[in-house]
Amino acid sequence: MTAFITRRILQTLAVIVVLSYVFYYLMSLMPGDPVDMMVASNPKITAEDVARLKSLYGLDQPTYKRYLNWVASMSQGDLGYSRTYRVPVQELMGPRLWNTFLLSFISLTLSIAIAVPLGVISALRPGSRTDYFMNLFSFAGISIPSFWLAIVLIILFAVKFPLLPAGGTQTIGGEPLGFWADLMDRSFYLVLPVLSLSIQQIGRFSRFTRSAMLEAMRNDFIRTARAKGLSRRVVIWQHGFRNALIPLITILALSFSGLFSGAILTETVFAYQGVGKLVYDSIIGNDYNVAMISLVISVSMVLLMNLVADILYGFADPRISYQ
Amino acid sequence: MNSNEVAMDELQIDTNSLSAKDRAELEKAQPMWKMVLTQFLDHKLAVVGAVIIHLFLLISIFAGQIRSITGLDPDAQNVANRYLSPMTTAQVGQDVRETEVERYINAFPESADKIQKALLEKGLVQVAEADAIYDLASRDVKEAISSLQSLNLPEATDLISTFKNFETFHLFGTDELGRDVFIRLVYGTRVSMGVGVLVAIASALIGLLIGSLAGFYGGLIDTVLMRVTDALLSLPTIPVLIVMAAIDLTKLPWLKAIVSTSNESIFKMVIILCLFSWMTVARLVRGSILSIREREFVLAARTLGAKDSTIIVRHMFPNVIAPMLVSITLGVGESILFEAALSFLGLGIMPPTPSWGNMLNNAQELIYQAPFLAILPGILILLTTISFNYLGDGLQDAIDPKAIRR
Repeated sequence: MTAFITRRILQTLAVIVVLSYVFYYLMSLMPGDPVDMMVASNPKITAEDVARLKSLYGLDQPTYKRYLNWVASMSQGDLGYSRTYRVPVQELMGPRLWNTFLLSFISLTLSIAIAVPLGVISALRPGSRTDYFMNLFSFAGISIPSFWLAIVLIILFAVKFPLLPAGGTQTIGGEPLGFWADLMDRSFYLVLPVLSLSIQQIGRFSRFTRSAMLEAMRNDFIRTARAKGLSRRVVIWQHGFRNALIPLITILALSFSGLFSGAILTETVFAYQGVGKLVYDSIIGNDYNVAMISLVISVSMVLLMNLVADILYGFADPRISYQ
Repeated sequence: MNSNEVAMDELQIDTNSLSAKDRAELEKAQPMWKMVLTQFLDHKLAVVGAVIIHLFLLISIFAGQIRSITGLDPDAQNVANRYLSPMTTAQVGQDVRETEVERYINAFPESADKIQKALLEKGLVQVAEADAIYDLASRDVKEAISSLQSLNLPEATDLISTFKNFETFHLFGTDELGRDVFIRLVYGTRVSMGVGVLVAIASALIGLLIGSLAGFYGGLIDTVLMRVTDALLSLPTIPVLIVMAAIDLTKLPWLKAIVSTSNESIFKMVIILCLFSWMTVARLVRGSILSIREREFVLAARTLGAKDSTIIVRHMFPNVIAPMLVSITLGVGESILFEAALSFLGLGIMPPTPSWGNMLNNAQELIYQAPFLAILPGILILLTTISFNYLGDGLQDAIDPKAIRR
């Protein structure tokens, strides 16, 4: 087990290093670099100034050298400086990560709490009317474009019936109101983003739960458990659901990786100041340092959660062993 | 979805109550495709999905014809008629009318002359002869057409049809540049469906190649290919797609030759989406090939001296076609969603080429002036992806031999 985990951690680290280099290379392929942008905004700049600036930022060096420099400064805890926001990346990331975590955690908990029972119910009565509508709902949830869902929610709840704010993270310019009032204010802004994220996740999770549960309830031991005269609840939850957990763990673990990478589309539409919007803004605005950190964080989270899922299998299913 | 046992039980109960004729029909063997078809037709929503998809395919194939029938132009801007609501009729601006009339007069000087004289004679216009048609054109379009028709001149038919084009009917209203939303949606169907189908098929082919190589040869090839597949699968899709879409493809010298500026964005979209959607097919193909690699018919083919390529193509591919078909179908829906998302962010298909995603691009700023601009393309995306998902689901049920009810 320990050997397996160590090997997987090493593999994961290697993948992160390779991918971060690929990202770094891709970023260098984006049109224009920061100095080009300065030149565009300042007509007085001379060719010597440009050359001097480029060598100051190290932009005249080949990509792999710049990448090595970047890794070196990263390992010393220096994440760099955001060119758009004019603050060190550490300062920028902190509140953004917290905002994104808040949004994703609430919507994830909400959707698991709704989707898992829904999926189990419809798996227990396949072909029923409940199952039919559940199916329709979950297909709609998977198929709906997330940004469009967000726009429709804004049209409905902020334009037609102005109940909720159309976007933002909290009321701007207000005085600090104390902890609870502040929390109320924030949750007001969270309702629509959470709703739009949850509708999709419920669709996805309930479908997975349904098929996993359906598969589990087909096993012979379920019939045996019923024949033994066990109560319906014990059969469903202890024998059926326990076995449906394995595929569920995968999808849930993968969703947890989204806790810090954020939902780019939803955050962008709602102008929610989270990591997702930061990733988008920094890629569009050529803010290398910020974009690199955010991308590395999201990729690492996905890989880490894959690893966690693999380890959790062992607990969910004693038949799985790691050599 | 009935399990195998349940289906068998039902069959036994059923046969007892059947007449001899029905029983004979039951025992007659059906060809595979018929069974699959019957099975598929049972899934009502999948059938509805298939119908909707065919409708959209027809629309995208006949987009040019729809354009010439309705006389609408997806790129024709008309700043005077911005944000018209659906089902309204609009008249084109005076400047456009003047150029059209001038063109008509230059093309048919004799008939123009006749019409001008007739107009003056009947007292329909009170200006100099040279300005008669211009004056008529500046009036309300319906009024102008009826006055022209009252002349009863055979030469006037061309001019009447020119005048008729001055009035346009907008089924779904107009957008922020006064372009007709309906014809843009029609052309958007072509772009979005085209990208979706192309990406799904191309990535299925890539996946088929990589999956079969990895599954058939195993060993080092398998390890390397599958590590790459896993690494790509674990990437967060949207951020990576944004990075890929934001890069300048012309900075890569080997691509510069194929990419031309006019279709660059569509071409780029297809390449990027292909790069990140072949992995599921590859895993699927590898899995099925692994499971049949040691089977007797493969051994038999090898004993007969078949080449590796023959074994893979002739003996293994038929076994993976069915699950691949399902995967392609689901892939189309997914690609359409990704294309829409990227175009919505302004990184996908570049305007003025319309796609469902980029029509939503500025819709968010306009939700106060024109909420319908944001609703329509989204409904089409939703309808298409949900249809493809249901179609895939139906195909899966129909093809899966375990689920076949005879």
